[in-house]
Amino acid sequence: MSCGCMDRRVFVRAGALALLSLGLDPIFLTRAAYAARRAPGANAGRKVLICVFQRGAVDGLSVIVPHGDPHYYWERARIAVPRPGREGGALDLDGHFGLHPALAPLLPLYRAGTLAAVHAVGSPDPTRSHFDAQDYMESGTPGRRSTPDGWLNRHLAHAAEHRDTPFRGVAIGPQLPLALRGAAPALAVDNLQAFGLRGRPAVRDRLERAFEEMYQGAATGLVATSSEEAFEAVRQLRAADLAGFEPSHGALYPRSPFGQAMRQLAQVIKADLGLEIGFADLAGWDTHVNQGASDGQLAARLRDLAGGLAAFATDLGERMADVVVLTMSEFGRTVAENGNAGTDHGHGTAMLVLGGPTRGGRVLGRWPTLDPAARFEGRDLAVTTDFRSLFGEILVGHLGAADLGAVFPGYSAAGTPLGVTG
Amino acid sequence: MPSTRALLIALGIAAIPGLAALPAPARAQAQSSRDSAVHLVRRITFGPRPGDVDRVVAMGLDAYLEEQLHPERLRDTAAEHYVDRLAIMHRSTADLARIYAAEQQARLAQRRMAPDSARGAAPDRDPARAEARRYAGELQQAAVARAVLSDRQLDEVMVDFWTNHFNVFLAKGLDRVLTPDYIERTIRPHALGRFADLLVATARSPAMLFYLDNAQSVAAGARPPGAARRRPGAAPPRRSQGINENYARELLELHTLGVDGGYTQQDVINVARIFTGWSIRRGPLGPVFTFNAWAHDRGTKVVLGQEYHEGGEREGLDLLRALARHPPTMRHVSAKLCARFVSDDPPDGCIDAAVHAWEQTDGDIRAVVRAIIRSPEFWAPEHRAAKLKTPLEFVVSAVRAVGGRPDTTLALAQIVGRLGEPLYLQSAPTGYAERADAWANSGALLQRFNTAVALAAGRLPGVQFDPDAVIPSSDDRDTMIAAANRAILEGTASGTTLDAIRRQVTDVYDLAAARTLVIGLALGSPEFQRR
Repeated sequence: MSCGCMDRRVFVRAGALALLSLGLDPIFLTRAAYAARRAPGANAGRKVLICVFQRGAVDGLSVIVPHGDPHYYWERARIAVPRPGREGGALDLDGHFGLHPALAPLLPLYRAGTLAAVHAVGSPDPTRSHFDAQDYMESGTPGRRSTPDGWLNRHLAHAAEHRDTPFRGVAIGPQLPLALRGAAPALAVDNLQAFGLRGRPAVRDRLERAFEEMYQGAATGLVATSSEEAFEAVRQLRAADLAGFEPSHGALYPRSPFGQAMRQLAQVIKADLGLEIGFADLAGWDTHVNQGASDGQLAARLRDLAGGLAAFATDLGERMADVVVLTMSEFGRTVAENGNAGTDHGHGTAMLVLGGPTRGGRVLGRWPTLDPAARFEGRDLAVTTDFRSLFGEILVGHLGAADLGAVFPGYSAAGTPLGVTG
Repeated sequence: MPSTRALLIALGIAAIPGLAALPAPARAQAQSSRDSAVHLVRRITFGPRPGDVDRVVAMGLDAYLEEQLHPERLRDTAAEHYVDRLAIMHRSTADLARIYAAEQQARLAQRRMAPDSARGAAPDRDPARAEARRYAGELQQAAVARAVLSDRQLDEVMVDFWTNHFNVFLAKGLDRVLTPDYIERTIRPHALGRFADLLVATARSPAMLFYLDNAQSVAAGARPPGAARRRPGAAPPRRSQGINENYARELLELHTLGVDGGYTQQDVINVARIFTGWSIRRGPLGPVFTFNAWAHDRGTKVVLGQEYHEGGEREGLDLLRALARHPPTMRHVSAKLCARFVSDDPPDGCIDAAVHAWEQTDGDIRAVVRAIIRSPEFWAPEHRAAKLKTPLEFVVSAVRAVGGRPDTTLALAQIVGRLGEPLYLQSAPTGYAERADAWANSGALLQRFNTAVALAAGRLPGVQFDPDAVIPSSDDRDTMIAAANRAILEGTASGTTLDAIRRQVTDVYDLAAARTLVIGLALGSPEFQRR
């Protein structure tokens, strides 16, 4: 099963191909390319997309509460968020929808026009399997299991201009998510401070020199190229001295793994390392039991999400003009609560878009209503916007992508665009 | 340099698939018999231990291959003793079901008491949850320990292969209870047996029936007798919505024909209809296979031109046996085996040899593997040291190379997980990948370097080894480096690697530190990442 990915060994810019015929090792050229671009300020102004994946199927109806829809209250006796104005009530957005009160830190961003919500968005594939649905959303090919790479990686692979840094694609976490896997290099970093070899500086430097020397001489191939990226990344990280990039403007990140992930992504951006795609994920959204309403299990997770996103926006300040944060989740949850004061796997969900050219202050997407006749399989919020439409609009409108056909093979957006970016 | 195949043909030894003898020293090319032994050991084991290659050279490649192809003739006390000490090996599925039910209760109770806390807080404080988590760790550790300690190396390699080919996800609901039995009694006994038997065993296993949702697949409109509520534990507590295609699709796409195997969506639907009724019930020994006749689709189904009707459970068995002999299945599975043993992009000659053996023996896995190992492609120079080790292969081969042993903790399996391959925790039915591009990323490589250095320094949790047994201490740096090259890299270190190591130890005055550095750099070298 060939994935049709580009050969990772050919890691050179177009103009340098001629030099290959002279017998120069492509890895040498890559290093020269890195060196040239490391001039300070060279990466400032680069557009960035941060994807935040809420794994476990977040209840979109609790994120963006349809307080104007009576079915919401008829079918969620124990877990509905009260109407605006009541104690613990939703924070009204536009008269029909409200923000979950735990997301209060995001309300000023909505009012300022930098945050938009998209409702009833999701996948055309009906699977309610977490694993399948997450893979479909990350591979960008719903319904197709054999896709070995992700939509974000395919974007990086096809948007060729900035192939001069190992930090184009960075996921915070122990493994590279499917969305960032593929031909284009991408880093999975658990902890930027600890990225590299361990040991006292003298020992560590000795080891780095040794490994680098061994791998430089190795036959070209994935192992050699990956290690080259690794050491280049380690070097640049050390030179950038990320520890020096404290949160600005008084931003206070939650102490949670998500808060720390957003803090690190902000550091990578501020250090001008050439980041284009960042990725973080949070778990804990699979609220089958005891979901809670204004307070409770789900509210606690939403508080963490809002804290991380708001701190990130504060930290970056004016640089948010170049950065879009997009939340996503594999599907939503049932309209009706279940016998355990929770919800089961559903279909349509809500996603948030923040920063950059986002035309915020609106809830986008065609709302299908919660009327039983309008539900997916009679039980779930329907999907009226294919997630690929939303993602595609952001790639084009914010990152200037030219060829969505390569990013979402087999898909052509139909119907009116959301108009999420300017 | 002529390829092995060209040489064999030139010498009048036709490369008849399955019949070519292993290259004897005189007939192989410039490469010595020792090199061939190294290559063979690296491919059919999890890596040589000190002395392994010498033993293979002494007994001869043919004899060694046959020894490994007949694990039942080998005593395996070290691995058996280790695994026997793990509590999970003595828990029945019913025991596990009880333990996990208790864990669920504990978690529910905690959530009710402290609804604001993040999910999964402090599992170790509750004994039920601690026990449940320990069993998952023990299952992983059993696999890693067997890979390190077993003398039945090829068997363990095949178990790893089939575990990925017939993947189940340990963390999915009931599979936490069902996976141990699946590994011990479904996968392991059939790893070198007949493919059809293995296929049927997986299809009937509660672990697979649950993982791919077939247990809840019922014919459209079917109702249980008396329309009573299903007993808890007998099937997943979800409203049955008719036919579930998940297993049918993966059976065709992943387990047998392959994505290009020539089946249609209608075939998938009909296969799903055939398997309606294949489900799970709670027995005295825990969840077991059951056939629910009431749930079975009674209509006629045509799959790949074959008609099935009025056969009940028999339809599924007939279908599985037909799939096992279908040419696309032979090609698809043979290609995967060649990818494991020869190259990420398996050469056609190797696949042809495997398929031929499959046809001749009606799918005897032992014969197919033998044909692959005897094919000229296996021995071709361009395929030697061509495979990148997976995290499991890297960690196990490193421990074996230094003559190490896993200790009594579960830490070694955790190391494999941290390098990216937590065993039995691949959520996708494709299993862990075979190809290098899944494993070669910068973060992963840095982790391997750290692991290599920690292991060499005796600081890697989960493993013990004696450095004196690997490289005798010497005040001559070159002697130490040469010894490491022999012991750990079987003499395959490149000039660059040797120079790099030499450069780093020249000014290290402490002998022990120098030796640690030499071992760590050897284990982290590019040569050691390949097999």
